[in-house]
Amino acid sequence: MAESSVIGAGTIVSGHIRGEGSLEIFGRVEGDVSVTGNVVIGPAGRVRGNVSGAELRISGQVQGDLRGTLAVLLESGARVAGDISGPRVGIAPGALARGHVQTDGEPAASAAREPAVARAAAPVRAPAPAARPLTPPARIAPAPVAAPVPAKAEVRAPLPPPARSEAKAPLAPLPAPPPQPLPKQAPLRPEVRRPEPPRVASAPPQAEFTPVRPIKPEPRRPPPPVVPVISKGTKAKKKKSHD
Amino acid sequence: MAGTVIGEGLTIEGDISGDEEIVIHGNLRGRLTTTDAVTVGGTAVVGADITGASLSVAGQVTGDVTASERVDIQAGGKLVGDIKAARFTIADGASFKGNVDMEV
Repeated sequence: MAESSVIGAGTIVSGHIRGEGSLEIFGRVEGDVSVTGNVVIGPAGRVRGNVSGAELRISGQVQGDLRGTLAVLLESGARVAGDISGPRVGIAPGALARGHVQTDGEPAASAAREPAVARAAAPVRAPAPAARPLTPPARIAPAPVAAPVPAKAEVRAPLPPPARSEAKAPLAPLPAPPPQPLPKQAPLRPEVRRPEPPRVASAPPQAEFTPVRPIKPEPRRPPPPVVPVISKGTKAKKKKSHD
Repeated sequence: MAGTVIGEGLTIEGDISGDEEIVIHGNLRGRLTTTDAVTVGGTAVVGADITGASLSVAGQVTGDVTASERVDIQAGGKLVGDIKAARFTIADGASFKGNVDMEV
């Protein structure tokens, strides 16, 4: 029957484990594990031997090959030395893997079903045969590599969030950043200049039609010239402040 | 809470050792050593020498048993092997074959 089994944290099994049902390993297993259900290896779990099951979720250490008929997911903190294969293979940031990794079968539901676990890695592999490099670390790399590109674009405008660039950048879609920079620039620049400009801006509505002051377009036009102005102003301010 | 559970349908060939409670509903061939309680469920088939604080047998066990506290064979349980334990009970309906040493 599909009953679940647990190897507790204080237990050591020296031998083979096989059968039906799912298995959770929080202790140590010295031997092969082969079950029909899912296998979870907890953070403190250690296995020396091959592991096969339906869906393998690894947070601990494994010295041996991993074979999941549904998926193999390496969570953060996982350390695997051995080959990994399954229709879905996920290696989360913070997981270490050394060995040959192969995704076979249908990766169809990978993107949809996998939670945050392997977002970064999954899309890279999903494309498929091409994404079967011998070096697992290379896969982990793609995520950060792709990140910087969009990150730079964002960094220009919003000064405060530089931290975003690596981790969050890929998650935050491009549409988000553009709207932010515009509003931020507007408030930032007036402030930098001094309180005066805002006053001017507030004044125009009263004298809307006065051609003398092209204030109305000001909010839109200023930005281009403002850029250098800001730098000058800020520098001056900095100097003054230092003085 | 049981530290280790060997579910029905699962087979372990080898040794199990630890310091926590072990519950077996599946199959075990090898040796079982723990400092805590051992429970052999009704569906379990165990061919192993067992060492633990206590042992409760509702399934089948073949092997020598050493318990620091007690051994209980439940109704329907079957145990073949020598037993060394301070306390030992055999429920009505249980079967047992082996030597008993209660001097521990």
